[in-house]
Amino acid sequence: MTDRADRRWLVAKTGHITRRGALATGGAAILGAAAAGLPIFGNAAFAAGKLVALVHTQAAGDNGPIDDMIVHLKALSKKDHFPIRTIYASDPSTYQSILSTLAGAGAGIIVTTFNEMADPIKAVAPKYPNTTFIQLYADPIKPAMPNVRTVEYQAHYGMFLAGLFGARVSQSRKLGYIGGMSLPGLNADLNAMKAGAAQVASSIPVKGAFAGSFQDPTKGREIANQLFGSGIDFIQTDGAATDAGVIRAASEGSNRIVSAVFRTQFKLGPKTVASSVLVNFGQSLTDQVTYALSSHFAGGHYVSNLADGIIDFVPSPLFMANGPKGYVERAKAAWPSVDAAKQAIIQGKLKVPFNTQL
Amino acid sequence: MIELIVAVLRTATPMIYVAMAGVLAQRAGIWNLGLEGLMITGACAGVVLTEQTGSVAAGLAGAVLFSVLLSALLWLVIEKLRANPIIAGLGLTGLGLGGTDLAVQAVYGSEGAVTAPVGIPTLGPAFGQFGLLDVLILAMPFMVFALWVLLRRTRFGLRLAACGEHPFAARSVGADPARMRLIALLLGGMLAGLGGAELSLGGLQIFSVGMTAGRGFMAFAAVIFGAGHPVGATFAALFFALVEFMGIKAQLVFGERAPRDFVLMLPYLATVLGIWISARLRGGVPLNTIELRDG
Repeated sequence: MTDRADRRWLVAKTGHITRRGALATGGAAILGAAAAGLPIFGNAAFAAGKLVALVHTQAAGDNGPIDDMIVHLKALSKKDHFPIRTIYASDPSTYQSILSTLAGAGAGIIVTTFNEMADPIKAVAPKYPNTTFIQLYADPIKPAMPNVRTVEYQAHYGMFLAGLFGARVSQSRKLGYIGGMSLPGLNADLNAMKAGAAQVASSIPVKGAFAGSFQDPTKGREIANQLFGSGIDFIQTDGAATDAGVIRAASEGSNRIVSAVFRTQFKLGPKTVASSVLVNFGQSLTDQVTYALSSHFAGGHYVSNLADGIIDFVPSPLFMANGPKGYVERAKAAWPSVDAAKQAIIQGKLKVPFNTQL
Repeated sequence: MIELIVAVLRTATPMIYVAMAGVLAQRAGIWNLGLEGLMITGACAGVVLTEQTGSVAAGLAGAVLFSVLLSALLWLVIEKLRANPIIAGLGLTGLGLGGTDLAVQAVYGSEGAVTAPVGIPTLGPAFGQFGLLDVLILAMPFMVFALWVLLRRTRFGLRLAACGEHPFAARSVGADPARMRLIALLLGGMLAGLGGAELSLGGLQIFSVGMTAGRGFMAFAAVIFGAGHPVGATFAALFFALVEFMGIKAQLVFGERAPRDFVLMLPYLATVLGIWISARLRGGVPLNTIELRDG
């Protein structure tokens, strides 16, 4: 017998599979599946449906925007039957290659997050006209590209309402603000909160501080403890995962009230989280992807604000049921003026400047 | 003043536990750059197991167990696979950061930060502001003292130091450097696990991805700042916590007049300055390649 015949005999006799045999069998199976039109990997998989990819530059598990986007994308995928991928891009040097790879593989829509994606999109989008790029939390791209839609969130309007609400709820008439990092958007939020408090009384101070990270609840707790220790009894958070520490600090003493930036944060402090500025990133993603899937899609810049409901300021039902009586009563009393200010903003009667200078 | 003491102790204690792990490793002749990975593993395991079982004891045990397992892995890679300890340590940090992210995603999906129903027991409101201090914070000075005794006043400690400084000489008197390193890393794993658990379960009762935020590396810096001495490293960690407290205070006192980025940079700047000053005081020489080598 030849060597090859020997091997075949051995396989037949013992049932053992040689490495070469396994590779040959696997290869044949893949080729067969591909020939039959089954999506195995690469272009074939993407071509099987209009792939929608979410490339997020902040880690999931933030109890905030990214988790909300993923949940909404999954729900939309289930409803409209398209495949999705969610990719966490932690390294800026890889942004462009991730976008190119996805677009090159035939992704129909690529949703990205935050301003740092602007340049990679500018570089990649012209090369892939059949792919729609959506950038959430973005400045306008100039000149506009037909396959790129940027979405801006005027969250500072929500912060203005938080300042107004805090000034009415606070018993010490001293407010605090804790942001993740001193970025233009967050600086504008702090200034808007000051403007909101000043709407009630110009003497109400708003002390702002930044943790230097969106993922450091320990530092959030220490900053909050110092703010509460200085007599402040109302803090607006603006720091993603850092907020958990702020909410925790509120539970370590009495007369400590927090306003959050996400509805899911209500349950972290049923007795202390009175309200939340909302940026409904998930709903915004749903709206924008649905629009991109439609036949009348056009690129350009879109501004979300209180009018379309993506930005909002809402009370916590848990707080209203469980919070300290005095603060709950003040919150209830404050709400009509918050609603009035909201309507004034929507109707254009009240303007809040977007001031990024501290 | 009480506010300052409580804040500094709460901030420094996790770092001190982790720094003690670094001290043990340094005594055994290993620059352990995996402290960040051990710390976040302890933080994650502590909260996840407490959340799953409802028992903080189970959480603490899990934090210690996983951190010890990672330390054993580090020993295996360094000792048996002959890997460079610096690179292996950095790899361990990457493994801890990525592994905890993966674990949270696997167990909870993308539901957000994990919240434990209970935390490490504290003194309670009867003690005023000191009531915020938990058992691990109160145990910290005793732990540091015990480690000092172990390293400086016992046969084991002297043999460990000998193995770290002169492994060949130690071997000639019957000590087994590989075994001593294993013991040091496992003990360190226990302490680093407790440090991580203190970070997440002590007060916060929350784990979120990446929450160590470089504190493991600051603990490593405290080891160097403190010249590898348990008490020195403890004071270094307390100093870093004090600087962080002052940084926050500066933001609040000076408001917009304070350069925020500079203020936020203060703890790290103090780390670099502290190491430089301590090296000058000890008449230290620049780090050479022999120091970087294991043994």
